[in-house]
Amino acid sequence: MSGIDGYDFRRYRRPAAYLTSLAALIALAAWQAEVDLGMFFRNADKGVAQLGAHFPPDSSVIGIMVKESLITVAMALLATPLGGAISLVFGIAAAKNISPPFIRSIARGLISIERALPEIVVLLFLIVVFGIGYFAGIMALAIGCVGMLGRLLGDAIEEIDKKTLESVELVGVTRSQLVRYAVLPEVLPAFISNLIFRFEVNIRASVVLGAVGAGGVGYELGKAMDLSDYQQATTAILAIVVLVLLSERLSDFLRKKVNAKSAALA
Amino acid sequence: MIRIDGLCKKLPDGRSLLNNISFSVKAGEFVGILGGSGAGKSLTLRCVMGLVQPTAGDIIFSRTKASGEEETFCIQNLSERRLREARRDMGVIFQGGNLVKRLTALENVMMGRLGHISPVRSWLYGFTDQEAKEAYEVLKSMKMEDYASRRVGNLSGGEQQRVAIARAIFQKPALYLADEPVSSLDPKNARKVMKLLKPLSKDKPVIGVFHQPHLTAEFCTRVIAIKGGEIVYDGAPDLDAATLAMVYEGELEEVAREPASVAADASSGFAAEEVASLRPGTITP
Repeated sequence: MSGIDGYDFRRYRRPAAYLTSLAALIALAAWQAEVDLGMFFRNADKGVAQLGAHFPPDSSVIGIMVKESLITVAMALLATPLGGAISLVFGIAAAKNISPPFIRSIARGLISIERALPEIVVLLFLIVVFGIGYFAGIMALAIGCVGMLGRLLGDAIEEIDKKTLESVELVGVTRSQLVRYAVLPEVLPAFISNLIFRFEVNIRASVVLGAVGAGGVGYELGKAMDLSDYQQATTAILAIVVLVLLSERLSDFLRKKVNAKSAALA
Repeated sequence: MIRIDGLCKKLPDGRSLLNNISFSVKAGEFVGILGGSGAGKSLTLRCVMGLVQPTAGDIIFSRTKASGEEETFCIQNLSERRLREARRDMGVIFQGGNLVKRLTALENVMMGRLGHISPVRSWLYGFTDQEAKEAYEVLKSMKMEDYASRRVGNLSGGEQQRVAIARAIFQKPALYLADEPVSSLDPKNARKVMKLLKPLSKDKPVIGVFHQPHLTAEFCTRVIAIKGGEIVYDGAPDLDAATLAMVYEGELEEVAREPASVAADASSGFAAEEVASLRPGTITP
């Protein structure tokens, strides 16, 4: 057919075949999801009207929004170290070079399950257990850390030079001492950097969780939208934007400090 | 004292890596183990450390306890707890040091005593000022006191090796084991390290695996040569050319070439140290 001397030329047309199948899949998905581009243009005026209803922002609730924003920050501030502590345990248990195979596979399994669950699913479950409120929100955020931080820590520990661990072990130490003096010094800076990043993620996540009842500025936004009080909602949205931007700046600043310090002394 | 008796190690497929290795080393001896690559030198040492379980044979390690009585360990059949106890009395020095790179030189030295400290204390308190002071004194004896508060990762290979020796000394072991301690060093630093290892053998047995016959001839009191997992020579350190050729076979040429490069490398070794201290952000406090 298309081959000469057993050389198959068809391999050079495969990209086209992949693109065609991809396009077909996208079309199928659009059809299934009832995508209607016409609706976008027919309802454009409604969108503009809705935007208009959001302005001007309601300045009478600024005080409430600031207070609720602080609650959101407090939730993230409580949840991040708590989640970090849980992740530390799971991360150490998930590293095959210091953890027995049985415990490691359990830890890895739980971490994977957590990663697969969005925070909101965890929260919906916890609300049943603890009731609507801050506590369920904080626990959901803390548990939400484990999937990311636990996995990153476990992987970082597994990358520690085997010879270093061996040489410390040969001093005649217990496993907990090995963790304290050989494992943690090597992985802690990266872990702290990840933890700070997770704080930023938790601020954003707590806004979303707030809207489903965990409290804070997200809850205020959800309430205002439900009551069709769009000007109040705008104030909440502005508070959220400022909050997220500030937390991003703070996290960037702190992580740069941690990284610079650990690089200087690497 | 350490006595190895009929040590054998076979792979599951029946290949023999060590075959009937027997020797004993007492205080005052600095034994250099020589052999081509894959001969089983390091494997023998790893059996002594309890890292590899031998197929047959005894490894008998005895130490004098603080109370003055003699205690004997059979390394090959110890519980994990007893193995830890035995290891506390073995000062191990590896090629490249294998230290914790992010801790300071002094912290790495102090770690030599970690086995004597309860896990609770190591988590909640750490080392006492007295221990820190003693560790500093040992570093000083290695002429490394200026580097005490520098992270080991910033030190050159020769400096790291000296920290590793300091750690082993601080451990106050009953036996020193050195697995290719000078292989990653240039000739000048290799000699420096050999000069530091030699005095350790005054009151404790020292066993080292080496690749350089000229260094073992100069510093060791006895050489054991291993070939294909068997001891082919055990005696005076100054091996004659014929024995060396037998031990190393095809590799002899590379081994023999090394002394000639001493002069050429001596300056470059110094340069490496200089460069390391000039790296940005590594200013000595």
